[in-house]
Amino acid sequence: MAGVMLREVTKAYGPVVVIPKLDLTIKEGEFVVIVGPSGCGKSTTLRMIAGLETVSGGSIYIAGKEVTHAAPKARDIAMVFQSYALYPHMNVAGNMSFALRLAGTPKAEVEERVRRAAEMLELIPYLDRKPKDLSGGQRQRVAMGRSIVRDAYCFLFDEPLSNLDAKLRATMRTELAVLHKRLERTMVYVTHDQIEAMTMADRIVIMEKGVIQQVGTPREVYTAPANLFVAGFIGSPSMNFLEGEIADEAGVLRVRGAGFDLPVPGRMKERVSAARNRDVTVGLRPEHFSANDSGGVLAPIQLQVDVAEYIGSSQFLAAVVGQQHVTASVDVGPDAEPLRSGDYYFDADRIYLFDRASGQAL
Amino acid sequence: MSSGRIDSPMKIWAHYAGLLVLAAICLMPIWVMISTSLKNEVLIFDGTPVWFFFFPTLENYEYILTRGKFDRYLTNSVIVASLSTFLTLFLGGLCAYALARTEFKGRRFVANATLLVRMVPPAVLAVPAFAMVVTFSLDNDLAVLTFFYTALNLPFAIWLLFGFYKQIPVELEEAAIVDGASPLQVFFRVLLPLMKSGYAVAGIFAFRIAWNEFILALLLTGRKTRTLPVGAAGFITDTGVEWGRIMAMGTLIVIPPLLFTFFAARQIIAGMTAGAVKG
Repeated sequence: MAGVMLREVTKAYGPVVVIPKLDLTIKEGEFVVIVGPSGCGKSTTLRMIAGLETVSGGSIYIAGKEVTHAAPKARDIAMVFQSYALYPHMNVAGNMSFALRLAGTPKAEVEERVRRAAEMLELIPYLDRKPKDLSGGQRQRVAMGRSIVRDAYCFLFDEPLSNLDAKLRATMRTELAVLHKRLERTMVYVTHDQIEAMTMADRIVIMEKGVIQQVGTPREVYTAPANLFVAGFIGSPSMNFLEGEIADEAGVLRVRGAGFDLPVPGRMKERVSAARNRDVTVGLRPEHFSANDSGGVLAPIQLQVDVAEYIGSSQFLAAVVGQQHVTASVDVGPDAEPLRSGDYYFDADRIYLFDRASGQAL
Repeated sequence: MSSGRIDSPMKIWAHYAGLLVLAAICLMPIWVMISTSLKNEVLIFDGTPVWFFFFPTLENYEYILTRGKFDRYLTNSVIVASLSTFLTLFLGGLCAYALARTEFKGRRFVANATLLVRMVPPAVLAVPAFAMVVTFSLDNDLAVLTFFYTALNLPFAIWLLFGFYKQIPVELEEAAIVDGASPLQVFFRVLLPLMKSGYAVAGIFAFRIAWNEFILALLLTGRKTRTLPVGAAGFITDTGVEWGRIMAMGTLIVIPPLLFTFFAARQIIAGMTAGAVKG
């Protein structure tokens, strides 16, 4: 099968195992983002795909060929580094053409391909400049151009946007997505920023401690997180976790805890009833709180508001439910007064329940 | 002077006056050397020294260039200095690269300990070196002198180049590898251009030390393998010191390292403008 495949790949530094056993299949032409906190093994995984890091066990396939122990240049990959890694002594054109020149591509073709990539990235006016005379965003684009020129089978990105300021990052995110559409190449992108993952990915791979926690589309990992880690990692601000338990009230399942009492959504009933009398963790996303009862399946919940932060059309509340701290993002419009303690509502259909012992979603 | 600050004219004058004094202190011995080389014996030993206004003569130069063994000494010096400089840079570069790129316990210590070796003055090594060379009958061999100079210069070169290599992010090499470069191509097309200033600095030091070194050269060379400094010392004879000829020789000795330094310094400038690896 084409694409990129990792089969039972392990990585250990001496006795320290950083990646126990990793299986991942990336389809041809897919944009996959590997996301996780620093030290979760995502960069190591990418570097193993690139061939910059040896593999301790298992095998890696790119475009159907086994490349586990192949040199990077035999893998038909291009890579963009976090620090861009532009050759400081070469100008933009030199940087972009380096790989082609090494491969002995005819001069006319090198020029043509560099020109085409530079056009795509709006780098034509800068071709004669050295990297130090470019802005951060331009350097970023040169780094990208360097890999585009290669026309490689697979593109690898190692946190390429983390050195840019917030505004430029947003622009580059869009450019990258557009680029992926145009090139239709397999892309593997590593980041610790879940917004980047959500906005660009066809599928997201969430890793922690060298283990894949969940693989899914952005919608899947947001609406159906597999466990507490994924639930807490995806979404901004992150999900609130409250301790509670399942109660059966004359056939109606409810989840209760200090300061809250919410009905269990119908879709979960079967799975939850098996968890009766077990300790559960309730997950409430901040954005599913609301200030007034607009109908539907809203359940009342009392919030003791400590601070209300004004951020435009909504307000972030740092509040207490029972004795547990929660964050709520309440959409009240830009003209509302600072919100106070009192009755709020929660969209009861969007409750998440996790087994407290295992952390797995119910 | 720091930029963006406007100093009073007085301060600027004082600054340049200070620089002038320092320059004079540095340049005076050189002028004494050059002027003495252009004087005849009578003028040199004149009771009241003449600094500037005298009738120059080239008889000292004529003597050493036509009647001495200057060409042989020069050839020996050039061979020894350039060969040992090349070896120092080649071996030192390899060691420094290995030190900078491999992780092991006590790496910093090893890098700095090499510098400790450099603190031993050549005079201390002279006796054991002489004993060794004589035992193995290796005296009168330019290769031996080259070997000793290389050994003498290696620690400093390693330490210096280690610092330069540390500054080059490993991602640059990885990027080149992904771009399809072989190890040699990574070195010659990515690392070497960025290391130009480092190699230039190390080269200037190594060449200068090998070129000027006297004690080891005196002990380890014979009639055929004498280098320029030893040759110059030959004018200190039982019948007197021929200052004019020594100074003429000294003046000529200065020229090659001067040329070498100018050439190497150009690489330092080139390296600095290429630098700025990260923005």
